Amino acid sequence: MMSLVQILEETKGKDGRRIIKVAKEHLLELMRELKSQGFNLSLITGVDRKDRLEVVYHLYSLEKNTYVVVKTETMDERVPSVTSLWSSANWDEREQYDMLGIVFEGGHPNLKRIFLPESWVGYPLRKNYDLSKVQYINMDEEGNDYATFDPNDGW
Amino acid sequence: MMVSRSQDSSGWVELNFGPQHPSTHGVLRLKAKLDGEIIREVEPIIGYLHRNAEKICELDYYCDALIYFDRMDYVSAMNMEVGVPGGSGEAPWCATPPERAQWIRVIMAELNRIASHLVWAGTFGLDLGMLTPPFFYCFIEREKILNIFAEACGSRQETNYMSIGGGVYQDFNDKIIYMIEEFLSSFPKRLEEIYNIFVKNDIFISRTKGVGVLKREVALDYGVTGPMLRASGVEYDVRKAEPYLVYDKLNFDIPVSFKGDTLARFLVRFEEMRQSVKILKQAIKKIPDGPYFNPKAKKSLMTRLRGGEGEVYARTESPKGEFGVYLVGDGGVKPYRVHVRSPPMFKNLSVLPVLAKDQMIADLIAISGSIDLVFGEVDR
Repeated sequence: MMSLVQILEETKGKDGRRIIKVAKEHLLELMRELKSQGFNLSLITGVDRKDRLEVVYHLYSLEKNTYVVVKTETMDERVPSVTSLWSSANWDEREQYDMLGIVFEGGHPNLKRIFLPESWVGYPLRKNYDLSKVQYINMDEEGNDYATFDPNDGW
Repeated sequence: MMVSRSQDSSGWVELNFGPQHPSTHGVLRLKAKLDGEIIREVEPIIGYLHRNAEKICELDYYCDALIYFDRMDYVSAMNMEVGVPGGSGEAPWCATPPERAQWIRVIMAELNRIASHLVWAGTFGLDLGMLTPPFFYCFIEREKILNIFAEACGSRQETNYMSIGGGVYQDFNDKIIYMIEEFLSSFPKRLEEIYNIFVKNDIFISRTKGVGVLKREVALDYGVTGPMLRASGVEYDVRKAEPYLVYDKLNFDIPVSFKGDTLARFLVRFEEMRQSVKILKQAIKKIPDGPYFNPKAKKSLMTRLRGGEGEVYARTESPKGEFGVYLVGDGGVKPYRVHVRSPPMFKNLSVLPVLAKDQMIADLIAISGSIDLVFGEVDR
């Protein structure tokens, strides 16, 4: 069915759901085709595979009652944004940017950290994130948060 | 609250709302731009209760990670535990819960769904200025459910009752069955009383009817699930769409409303409570005898459950919406990556700017209250 899109691999997961692997250059084409088939975005997950970052998209279709998993990989932390297709991708991508430092480029209206302050150093869900380095969150007069750290405190 | 004149030429007033405010149900900060009394823009700012439960899960053993799920949506801990892969018997490396344990899980999850909706109804009344009656009536009923939990597992809220290995911590004894039956006999009448306090109040109806209308297409575009989606006219419930545990053996309906406003969300939640009572009445009769814990799993828990390789995405219907857990294992004793799709979070809260646009400032509380926010889960 995906005639125009080059798919790297299509398998079935242990839970019986279709898993489609695609190169990130073809991600948007595939997503557009899936959207035209009635799929909605459910979840975006980033996985740190140490040498590369994996981005997993869960899509579901209400009419067909099926789930499809789309996977793509990136070596340079950059992945095309799907916010133009589904509005729910907006906050999902902000969360993955916050936690794993995946930059969703091309069309994201407001790619900034969602939980942590902008000045936070490091991405907590990366495997090489050092938990012993303590950072403190303060509030400025405007009510916005910012992070500071003591250089003697594990840094 | 902090008010300042907007910097740009629009002349709008910027209003900072929260994070510490009683009607935000936790720590939600809203930055609103007001044109007189009309909201033109609103930006939710979250993260004040962020503990990074996903990282904590990665650092812990499989069975230890379960307790952090209790603390996500702390008013419906049982539903969070059912949602963990293995909790509903979906993870391939987890032992399947025996028949009796599956029925016990359904009973506990439905009891907690009622408790969660009661908390919502009581605090939603508070948000709208209905001070004493509904709040205390709701919490009296919820107290009875929490007493059942305390009897079953020794804890009222953060229960840690269901084991990831397949089973529950303790079997139902006669006293628990009696408590549940007694609750089921008295609750439907009380529920109608509480319902009438709300819907026979003209002020409540005028504060909710036609306020914050969520259209079907917008709800689907933003990935909204749960009672909010069903109030917008989509008949979608994971319990029916992809039945887990023993929900396929139970007879119940999915309440749907086509109005999409705050009142519709209220009505859908109350109808869900009636349906939960219906489920509970069937389940308490049908619950079979047998083991409540998979004996094989109990042994593996003693010697640190070793997860398999690969990944699983388990989804369940929590009181707030679709609760999904994406779990990646690398064959070790700890999960490699855990990602939680928490329903009020990105999905149901991210639609707030659309709902509140061009509404009155006083309705902002009604709208954000109708989303049913629990910040333990939003911020994780």
